[in-house]
Amino acid sequence: MRLITHNMLQCHVKACPPGQSYPLQIRNAELEALDAEFNADFVRRLIPKLDWKVLRSTAFELGVAQLPEECPAEPTEDDLQMIHKVALQTRVKEAEMVCSGCGHVYPIKDGVPNMLLQDHEI
Amino acid sequence: MDSLPKEKLEHVHVHNVYNIIAPHFSATRYKPWPIVDNFLSGLDKGSIGADVGCGNGKYLGVNPDVFTVGSDRSDKLIDIVRERGFEAMVCDNLRLPYRDSCFDFITSIAVIHHMSSPERRLMAINELIRVLKPGGHLLIFVWAFEQESRSKRRFSEQDVFVPWKMPKAIYGPASSQPNTAVAEDGGDVVYQRYYHLFREGELEEMVRQSPDAMVEACGYDRDNWYVIASKK
Repeated sequence: MRLITHNMLQCHVKACPPGQSYPLQIRNAELEALDAEFNADFVRRLIPKLDWKVLRSTAFELGVAQLPEECPAEPTEDDLQMIHKVALQTRVKEAEMVCSGCGHVYPIKDGVPNMLLQDHEI
Repeated sequence: MDSLPKEKLEHVHVHNVYNIIAPHFSATRYKPWPIVDNFLSGLDKGSIGADVGCGNGKYLGVNPDVFTVGSDRSDKLIDIVRERGFEAMVCDNLRLPYRDSCFDFITSIAVIHHMSSPERRLMAINELIRVLKPGGHLLIFVWAFEQESRSKRRFSEQDVFVPWKMPKAIYGPASSQPNTAVAEDGGDVVYQRYYHLFREGELEEMVRQSPDAMVEACGYDRDNWYVIASKK
């Protein structure tokens, strides 16, 4: 799972308290760096689609990078490289994603999150 | 078929079957589908989307200028997607693990026809619309009850089992996994997949039930019905 994907994920347990199902907290993470081709124009177009606060806090908690407090309005080449590295090249290989609202744990194994719930949680 | 509860029917005749047939299924999924390819090729650069029920990830690499998260209910199919280097996760279309309005596009190719009641099909479609951004686009393909004249298949009812035959010589003997319905036919192991075959207008009508969706195009292509919709 790349961090851009984590940016979209939320807990979907039915009883999860509203407003607390996102973002999922990543615990016990083993990270790897992917070899993804850098495309400045692509990254520039991607930025407005990201939840910057969540990307920033996740990158910080995982020790990947310290992104600026606010999303750069006119990103420099360096900004774009940094966002590329954080969102597209950083892959969570093994981890647990924990919901702050209901405590549900979603495992990530071999880079693949398993988001299935038991029948009683749906 | 009616004797099984809906969840169990899908478990035995969809989820488990795809997990067992995954390598053979994947080896047969390579033909392009022009309407899907055109939809993906027409997306704006830098778009973020989800392919819900992505199978072996056949469409995940079509347009390199967009970012697509693939997902499937079958973890064995997702193993194949991961090995191909695509972004993927295991999840259920009936309850997607994505936040509201976060994707520019969604594709649902040959998925909704595996849901075994009108309520479940509608629930799956509504989930696709929920995670789509206003202005974003959705493409849904489902198998048609009305098969083309050159098709070898003829159906007399809409809810059917369609056999998947795996050659024993290549893929080994029948799976003994629990909750699996299996038979043998000569050199093949036969698994029955559940399908709901859509009649003309049925898919479109379901999409139109959502107050958030606007149907932009619909049609028939190679034994399938499709709808392209946008979110208001």
